[in-house]
Amino acid sequence: MRPSRAEYPYRWRLMDRLEAAADRLFPRRWSRWTGWLMLAPALLLVAVLLIGLVQIADASLHTLDRKTFRTSAAYSLDNYRAALDQGVYLAVLWRSVLGAAIVTLLTLLLAFPYGYVMVRTRSSNLRKLLLIALFLPFFIGQVVRAYGWLIILGNGGLVNDLLGLVGVPPQRLLFNYPAVLFGLVQYMLPFAVLMLAPALTAIPEETEAAAGSLGANWLRTLWHVVLPMARPGLVGAGLVVVSLTLTDFAMPAILGGGGQDFIANAIYDQFFRTSDQGLGAALTLLLVGIGSLVVGAVFTAFGAGTLAMGRART
Amino acid sequence: MGRIRQQGPQPMIRDAANAAQAAKAGPAVSVRGVDMDFGAGPLAVADAGFDLARGRFLTILGPSGSGKTTLLRMIAGFQTPTRGEIFINGEPVSKVAPHQRAIGMVFQKLALFPHLTAAQNVAFPLKMRRFDARGIPARVEQFLDLVRLGGLGGRRIHELSGGQQQRVAIARALVFQPDLLLLDEPLAALDRKLREEMQLEFRRIQRELGVTTINVTHDQREALVMSDEVIVMEAGRIQQNARPVDLYRDPANAFVANFIGVTSFLPGRVAPGGLECGGILCPGTPRQALAAGTPARGAIRAEQIRMAADGAALAGLDFRLQGQVRDAIFEGERQLYEVVLPALGGIAVQVYHHDASDFALTAPGQTVTVGWNRRDMILFPAAVP
Repeated sequence: MRPSRAEYPYRWRLMDRLEAAADRLFPRRWSRWTGWLMLAPALLLVAVLLIGLVQIADASLHTLDRKTFRTSAAYSLDNYRAALDQGVYLAVLWRSVLGAAIVTLLTLLLAFPYGYVMVRTRSSNLRKLLLIALFLPFFIGQVVRAYGWLIILGNGGLVNDLLGLVGVPPQRLLFNYPAVLFGLVQYMLPFAVLMLAPALTAIPEETEAAAGSLGANWLRTLWHVVLPMARPGLVGAGLVVVSLTLTDFAMPAILGGGGQDFIANAIYDQFFRTSDQGLGAALTLLLVGIGSLVVGAVFTAFGAGTLAMGRART
Repeated sequence: MGRIRQQGPQPMIRDAANAAQAAKAGPAVSVRGVDMDFGAGPLAVADAGFDLARGRFLTILGPSGSGKTTLLRMIAGFQTPTRGEIFINGEPVSKVAPHQRAIGMVFQKLALFPHLTAAQNVAFPLKMRRFDARGIPARVEQFLDLVRLGGLGGRRIHELSGGQQQRVAIARALVFQPDLLLLDEPLAALDRKLREEMQLEFRRIQRELGVTTINVTHDQREALVMSDEVIVMEAGRIQQNARPVDLYRDPANAFVANFIGVTSFLPGRVAPGGLECGGILCPGTPRQALAAGTPARGAIRAEQIRMAADGAALAGLDFRLQGQVRDAIFEGERQLYEVVLPALGGIAVQVYHHDASDFALTAPGQTVTVGWNRRDMILFPAAVP
């Protein structure tokens, strides 16, 4: 008897066909390799990335001859010396690292209450609103968003118009360090909230109620219970924001107006403006090094957070 | 007990010593005309009222959705009654936040703090309630000993077994010597053996400290085993408030009779000396005075019905009847029979039988005699259709 559609849905039949076809392409006795087969594309990508990194490392060891515009054949550390001796690059490095630290701190401070309300609110409308407000910026690219801030914060922009209404003379709000950090915080907020939300969801409401019944007011509950239990989320969000900020290009370029470059901007200039591949490669490796150090330090101090997945459950 | 009472500042509600003295006379907890309205549907709790004397162990028993947890959460302060007032030590508490009430609570999922050790969990309420820091380690150790976790204070929560976690939760709820201990079905998730062990453990600790306790459960055995008093709730209303023995022997209505124990109901009308059912007078006693001819239901417990293959063995009973075994369920320590009574219109009653040597005698299909005494069947007015 032919099974009816309700008993044997089309989706199952489709799966049967697909399984039969897959069995012909990749017989079942190879199944112990299936995992590796699925990993292969990702491994290939990482391998290509590693090859690129080795090539960049190689390029960083050859200096550019300014007269002939050819790279030297001999290996030397001159590019690193140049990068670390010239004040301008040190200033750019320092600006990037400090910026990453400030932006991460501010973003986590703002993302925590946002994520907490989003997870805990009883009103599904409020939750939807907060989610939409979170995802909408993803559909607007970083460059367009930075350009939007140019319009709003410009000399004849909305903010200065409003300040004019209360008698404040036009302020220079753009092309300075705070403007870049402001743009970065605004850009990073959704990433941080999305990384935090699962960790906050994992804290049972009963646990907070328990803290209350044991004598803790909301502030002490936050400090002694919610924050420690949300630590994996805070670490995960912090790592994502730190690495994205440290390597950001568009915000410093557009909102900084050329005077507030981060490392990525300096690297861009070496590769595409002065064509000094060697120096650009040296700066790139410095960036990779600093980034790895920061991430490594956070891992050692706080654990890998949500990025540790199922592993370190402490 | 008196030794530890003297350490550390007292919880906030007991700050005025003479107020506490005055309150000693009255009940520890007093619930007066409390309603809870969640907006949709009938009241979650309707006109709840009871008094609980100091040091007593009360269990609120009811099926899920009966409003028992809502009532407990109102006493804890997580919800505010729509109407009525709750008094703890004679003080109205509706406007007192949970963290300002001197109430220890053990939660359904325990709600232990996973980032702290067992000892740190127990120390938490002492720190939050600003006890003298120097006294805390000794007090924590004392309460870990009380729940028989001495030496395990350094363990993380996930390094403890389910039963040990229960014990940490008890110690944490009691260490600041609350006026009242609330248990929100903390034993529901345990396997049977451990649950029965922990029931006795809760009872021991409660007696040792003499703390007034309110427990919420749907498990009738737990209610009967642990409590001094039991409140049965159904559909938001308190059905009965009695000692376990009275609750079992003398249920206030058909719901309570049915909810506790295994009970069969016979439909009929009140007649002098019992219930007239299918033209036969079944001996029974009305719970309250009922006029003859009133539609009624006779409730009789499975262990009050005697059963034998040979009717002569039941000669001493007030009432005997022939029946046929429909089903026999082996429950280990006893056997539960379902016996159809053709004379009463084919109604089936449930009968417990404890005599292991008889098991083989009564297989499904066999004809048996069942019987009971007048005092064992209670008549309730039939529910209005």
